[in-house]
Amino acid sequence: MDSLPNGTATTATATPAAPTAPAPAPPSSRLGHLGESLKLEHQFLRVPFEHYKKTIRANHRVVEKEVSAVICGVSDDSDVSNDDAVHHLSSLVSRLQGLKRKLEEGSRTENLQAQRCRARLDHLESADAENLSDWNNMRLKRILVDYMLRMSYYDTAAKLAESSNIQDLVDIDVFQEAKKVIDALQNKEVAPALVWCADNKSRLKKSKSKFEFQLRLQEFIELVRAENNLRAITYARKYLAPWGASHMKELQRVMATLAFRSNTECTTYKVLFESKQWDFLVDQFKQEFCKLYGMTLEPLLNIYLQAGLSALKTPYCYEDDCTKEDPLSQESFRKLALPLPYSKQHHSKLVCYITKELMDTENPPQVLPNGYVYSAKALEEMAKKNNGKITCPRTGLVCNYSELVKAYIS
Amino acid sequence: MELDIIKDAFDRISKKQKLSSSKSQEVIDLVGLEVEQALGKIQSAHDLASPVDQKSILTDLKLKLNAIGPLHQLEGSQKELNINLSKYQKLLEKFLNPDISKAYRNVDFDFHIVNQIVAAHFYRQGLFDLGDSLLNEAGEPEATALKSQFLDLHQIIGAARVRNLEPALKWACTNREKLKQNSSNLELKLHRLQFVEILQKGTRTDALNYARAYLTPFASLHMDEIQKLMACLLWAGRLDSSPYHEMTSPTHWDNLTEELTQEFCSLLGQSYVSPLSVAIAAGVEGLPTLLKLANVMSAKKQEWLAMKQLPVPVELGKEFQFHSIFVCPVSRDQGSEENPPMLMPCLHVLCKQSIMKLSKSSTRTFKCPYCPAEVSVAQCRQLYF
Repeated sequence: MDSLPNGTATTATATPAAPTAPAPAPPSSRLGHLGESLKLEHQFLRVPFEHYKKTIRANHRVVEKEVSAVICGVSDDSDVSNDDAVHHLSSLVSRLQGLKRKLEEGSRTENLQAQRCRARLDHLESADAENLSDWNNMRLKRILVDYMLRMSYYDTAAKLAESSNIQDLVDIDVFQEAKKVIDALQNKEVAPALVWCADNKSRLKKSKSKFEFQLRLQEFIELVRAENNLRAITYARKYLAPWGASHMKELQRVMATLAFRSNTECTTYKVLFESKQWDFLVDQFKQEFCKLYGMTLEPLLNIYLQAGLSALKTPYCYEDDCTKEDPLSQESFRKLALPLPYSKQHHSKLVCYITKELMDTENPPQVLPNGYVYSAKALEEMAKKNNGKITCPRTGLVCNYSELVKAYIS
Repeated sequence: MELDIIKDAFDRISKKQKLSSSKSQEVIDLVGLEVEQALGKIQSAHDLASPVDQKSILTDLKLKLNAIGPLHQLEGSQKELNINLSKYQKLLEKFLNPDISKAYRNVDFDFHIVNQIVAAHFYRQGLFDLGDSLLNEAGEPEATALKSQFLDLHQIIGAARVRNLEPALKWACTNREKLKQNSSNLELKLHRLQFVEILQKGTRTDALNYARAYLTPFASLHMDEIQKLMACLLWAGRLDSSPYHEMTSPTHWDNLTEELTQEFCSLLGQSYVSPLSVAIAAGVEGLPTLLKLANVMSAKKQEWLAMKQLPVPVELGKEFQFHSIFVCPVSRDQGSEENPPMLMPCLHVLCKQSIMKLSKSSTRTFKCPYCPAEVSVAQCRQLYF
């Protein structure tokens, strides 16, 4: 966890960052937590791996395609003239040379991506007790970059990654691919999305995705909107009919728009012409995209934030005197936590009102004659300063240190 | 976690990938060579103007290419790579949690609020351009008030880091009353540092004048401190070799910026540590437990979504304990206003309802469940944590 003045960021900002507060040595239980928390990092390793795999497959396909084209290109037709044969063979040679160059470039990309996969493994391995607070700080930054990329705040994401020097630990390049498609969909163009579907055809098919069908439906709707009915029908025959076996209902519904047209008041068909259908396609694409790369469907930030708020939420958080150090003292966090369940405790956890420290056997709770409880540490300190007199900070009661009793809380 | 195993598996992949790449190169070279040779033969035959058996050269080439079996060779190396690739993916799924969103509730998580929280986080860390950039890209309203507060803070701290205490002193002076309410002696600490700084770099007279002007107001409350500082005057210019050399320690400056930040945030009504950092850190610690719970409850989706309180405790480190929570050791209920903790004369604590039960609604004395003491309800008193 970072403290407010965060000096560890090698920021390129104009304002100098404040110095780092000395990190308290983490207790040993921390290491147990660390092991558990590393298991949450599946996406961190999986995404660059998917990217790497994709490149390998694509490169291999190119080689396969070209080589088989060359082999098929060698024919022993006897009625070709000598010049033609020479010309044909030379074109095959230059084709092979071109392939070789492409392959070299492809391997370079593969190696770079392999390096990135390895950098992530190394980063997970580098987490230990000594650098835990820096490491956690970095994790928060990674989570923030992930959030901004998913929300399409690309510039800020890139700035944060660059200023913190964590480009290898975030997936900016992967999201570049998504950005193209999303931008186009926001401009009501489906072409890049269709290209993306074609590129990932086999995997989309495997996950029974109907995203391509949804894109086709939208294109059909646009043709109907433009009163281009004949073209719409041709389009439907070619691109919608193949989906009939599995999605007949939706297909029929969309076909009915030919009868109802775009100015219809019939709600079933009216919604199909609304522009929020495009927003829906963007959301749909994001989901397919995340699934393909093995990412969680929600931003990591939301997942961790929700888990944290669930774990922190107690009825006391919503009281007026809630300490400022509790995130749930803030209105924004309270709103987010509203639909979440309260945490549960099996054992008492007592926090001293004065020092805000946990009261345990080393710093036991002491009871004043009026029933108010404070930590032994706080009361000893107070007694030392005030000649053995104790003043209750909440009621103003004054008593002697000797009047205190220790409470046993199990 | 078995990172070593995962790393080994990855090394195997990258080895196979390199192998597959060089195999492809090799195959392409072989094919290229044959084609070029055939080309050479046809060309030389042409130059010699001899009867050209073009057909046989081409048939020969075709045979040779078939003998190489380039596609077969490519497939072989790729297959090995593919096996390793899918093995690696399985390893990742085995050793890491492949879907950490299992415990996520699809409730309305307002992204406008999240954006504001993230921007505030950037501002408090002094990353002002990132905060601006985010709000701008997200189309959120500017958080001018919050930003300017943290700009002030970072100016004060930035100056203090190069040992310029003027902005800090000015701020402490304007907020003197509030600091006093927080029982903070930050202002005195600032003057003390300034005084020591003058003693080391300036003249004795300067230091004395400074002390007269700024330290005297603190005399009534902090006499000890001021006496010590006055004694320092004797070693002006060579404080390092004095009994007071501790005063020159640079840790005072580090502690000061920390304390400054703390007091500044406290007066702003803000926490010292970024609330986002706290919530995320708590999330990282709590999520494994929540995931286990979600797994167990996966058959009871409705129950999972409807619960008002988690059925099991999520243990967090003590830095996340912000509230006193009393759990009655007998009934396991959480203390509340209606059911407060009560101290028995033997100094053990139970909740009121448990005491009522044990005493049969105050009709008789009972034995403390933790010691042999006999307790009557009249002897018990309520505790306030």
